Amino acid sequence: MLDVLISALTQGLIYALLCYGLLISYKILDFPDLTVDGSFPLGAAVTALLITNGVHPLLTLPVAMLAGALAGLATGLIHVCLKVRDLLAGIITMTALFSIDLKIAGSNLPIPRGVDTLFTLPALDALLGSVSLSGKKLIVSFVIALLFKFLLDLYFRTGSGMLLRAAGDNPVLVTSLAKSEGKAKILGLVLSNSLVALCGAVVCQEQRSFSSTMGTGQMVLGLASVIIGLTVFKKLSFVKLTTAALVGSILYKFCIQAAILAGLDPSLLKLITAVLFLAILAVGSFERRRKGGGARA
Amino acid sequence: MKNQMKKIFSLLAAAILLLSSLALFSCEKTLPVIGINQYAQHPSLDNCRTGFLAGLAEAGLTEGKDFSVDVQNAGADDNLNAQIASTFASKNAALMVGIATPSAMACFNAAEEKDIPVVFIAVTDPAAASLTEGNVTGTSDRLPVTAQLELIRKLQPDAKTIGILYTLSEPNSVSAIAEYKEKAPSYGFTIEAVGVAAQSEVPLATDSLIAKKVDCFSNLTDNGVVDVLDSILEKTNAAGIPVYGSEVEQVKKGCVASAGIDYYKLGIQTGKLAARILRREAKAADIPFEAVTEYEIYLNETACGELDVSVPADVAASAVKADA
Repeated sequence: MLDVLISALTQGLIYALLCYGLLISYKILDFPDLTVDGSFPLGAAVTALLITNGVHPLLTLPVAMLAGALAGLATGLIHVCLKVRDLLAGIITMTALFSIDLKIAGSNLPIPRGVDTLFTLPALDALLGSVSLSGKKLIVSFVIALLFKFLLDLYFRTGSGMLLRAAGDNPVLVTSLAKSEGKAKILGLVLSNSLVALCGAVVCQEQRSFSSTMGTGQMVLGLASVIIGLTVFKKLSFVKLTTAALVGSILYKFCIQAAILAGLDPSLLKLITAVLFLAILAVGSFERRRKGGGARA
Repeated sequence: MKNQMKKIFSLLAAAILLLSSLALFSCEKTLPVIGINQYAQHPSLDNCRTGFLAGLAEAGLTEGKDFSVDVQNAGADDNLNAQIASTFASKNAALMVGIATPSAMACFNAAEEKDIPVVFIAVTDPAAASLTEGNVTGTSDRLPVTAQLELIRKLQPDAKTIGILYTLSEPNSVSAIAEYKEKAPSYGFTIEAVGVAAQSEVPLATDSLIAKKVDCFSNLTDNGVVDVLDSILEKTNAAGIPVYGSEVEQVKKGCVASAGIDYYKLGIQTGKLAARILRREAKAADIPFEAVTEYEIYLNETACGELDVSVPADVAASAVKADA
């Protein structure tokens, strides 16, 4: 029983990285970024390739983030410089990334048990002693999720972070400050996709494999998690956005786990996600109407 | 503010309670649970599953008395696949069964910590999937490429090129293509292989092979391609090109013939193997994986007739008829 909770919690913590990424693109920039479905497996492909070639598991993370950043940069440049619509810019990069991911990894690539991952580092054994593997996975993912939450919180307080937030809320203000709204958008996409690729990298190490289709539906999954989190904490202004994303991610994975445990037909799972998603949005919109407010979800 | 915090906490608590009750409910049975993770819904994999259960029964184990089964289908979704496997592990399954390579890999990864034995069915290349070391065993559905080439030579004595469609991301297909290319010259064939990145590209790839005037198509056990076999056959039949399948279900659909595997039998073989592990007669770690050594020649005489493929008497006599 406890195992089931730990496993769902671990998944939620790992996917929190994806949710931070979507928090930036969707919530802060108001940019529906489909690059995610390509940058997630990109991070995984890079990691699988490096780690099977003997690179240290920790070192693969910054490389994966860099790869994700480049993907975000591509979408940003396509959108800002070529004036391609946001949704299309993301689709173009995502489509290109599908081939690139396959070229990087060859084909679907397993990481053999003999190869150490983030979760089986010898240093962890020394530190945690006899903690079980699922315990280690929980601790490592907890540390990573919190670390990046605090880093993001810090970043949002810097000048660049403030500008990023303004670019989504009030582009006029950004322009009046003599700053380029385009540059802020590109920066946001770079940051967002590097987090998404990082998530792909950690997932790849956790499940010890890269598969070319692992990115499918990640954008919607992340979006659903972020919106769950934001809805739950809607009335609490003191709760940070990153906290909302983190909790949303965990709640989402709990829901999926409950559905699997209940023996739900997996082919219906996506439909249920969509209905859940719609219900949350509908409740939010209903409440706003009752209060007469006009804020968007 | 306080009230809102309360609300949130009660929501969280409710979610956790719901999860706990569900988990407790499903853990009620004390029988050893066999968690079966089937990667996708198609006839070959369904045959693996039903064959596996039949194999357990043949070995004398009764469902509901000796074990209970938890069957999950990942619907070809890799995230769901991983989560199904980890759920099996969390629920302390006595044995995990992965049908098709991605599911086998997910089960093996999830089983690591508790050292739950894993049995796989229909993994073409267990070594490439890192499924040869550890508490894992199973059956491989490696294609009888040589037999298939011999069969094509007998049915089409003048054929020169064989067209093959495959999905770039499937390691089993990549290794099968390599084997085809290596063995084809000794039978006087050249291979025209076209890889697709996504299933939606299969129709275009089919057209391109037809345009290259290949003498026939030969199928692999490629999930992406086999799924849309009907649309391929529609085009090849119109062009008068015979297609050779990789197992019996494809021949039933309209391929002319196949030197292939019977996945139901493969399932039975795996079921018997699993029974030994469940009875603790052997450990999965100590049983090497078993490759299929027996294959059958399947023949669809209707399709052969329509495409003017003349079947030599010796082939016709030894083949299993698999008309739709």
